Amino acid sequence: VNEAAVNEETVLAEITGMLREVLDGYLDGSDVAGIEVTMETRFHEDLEMESIDLVALGSRLSERYGEWVNFAEFIAGLDLDEIIDLTVGRLVGYVVAAQRTATVTA
Amino acid sequence: VSVVRANGVDHHVQEMGPAGTPTVVCVHGIGTASLASFYFTVAKPLADTGLRVVMYDLRGHGRTERPPTGYTLDDYVDDLAGLLDQVAGCEAVYLLGNSFGGTVAFSFAARRPGRVAGIAVIESEPAAPEWATKMAANLERAATELARGEALAWITVRYGRRTAKLAKAAARMLDSTTLVRDIPASAVPARDRLSALRCPVLAVYGADSDRAAVR
Repeated sequence: VNEAAVNEETVLAEITGMLREVLDGYLDGSDVAGIEVTMETRFHEDLEMESIDLVALGSRLSERYGEWVNFAEFIAGLDLDEIIDLTVGRLVGYVVAAQRTATVTA
Repeated sequence: VSVVRANGVDHHVQEMGPAGTPTVVCVHGIGTASLASFYFTVAKPLADTGLRVVMYDLRGHGRTERPPTGYTLDDYVDDLAGLLDQVAGCEAVYLLGNSFGGTVAFSFAARRPGRVAGIAVIESEPAAPEWATKMAANLERAATELARGEALAWITVRYGRRTAKLAKAAARMLDSTTLVRDIPASAVPARDRLSALRCPVLAVYGADSDRAAVR
């Protein structure tokens, strides 16, 4: 894991790319490419993502970042209200922290 | 890769838990459900006990392909059989089915008893003539009501915008496939095949379940 990857901005950009892939062709009549994704963007309210879209995003996260980024584990630690209000920023924070753990351990 | 082609349909498949341990295959219900019904609920606790959990989106649902036709119970049983042949370590599995998913599990077990180590179902029952009649009425009602704006407006008020969006997606699925016709027209498993099952079966029902009164 290189140092540059353990960086919020990089991770935000990468997750934004994954969101476009996940939502392409699924979002009702919206132009996914035109949505601005920030740390404050909410998966449910702003991106109108369904739970199955989150599962698809989780797959891409582990493909990109490896086993240390465990989306199911991350979600399991949240209660229902937290999942509903989940922001991109909170996920970015988790990925950055998980990568640091991986770097320290490796 | 989480796409497995089974019975001619590309299925979205997810796994949790350690490989090489007893496998639980989760089968979700029809309509607004998907493998997320398990992924965000029981999958993780099951995986934490050391089980391998395999989940998939049924045809027409979630991120699995949506062919225009082929939605009888037997089609779903063939899909499951195909998946178990494709996914490694699924020679004998525990089936966990919610609602229609449990009905699929019972039909699969009736056909391939040797592949099923045990069955657990939630709000579910094996297919039977009464089941087909009930499904016909429920599906017909869902398709008709969801096609009208008032039902969606009511769902929005009662359950919120996200549930309404799921209902709208389900309405599109009912409208673009033969599911409403196919499910009630399904062949039901012979009773003696079901009563011959020797694997453990756990069936869970809520107090308000329409099945609770039957038992």
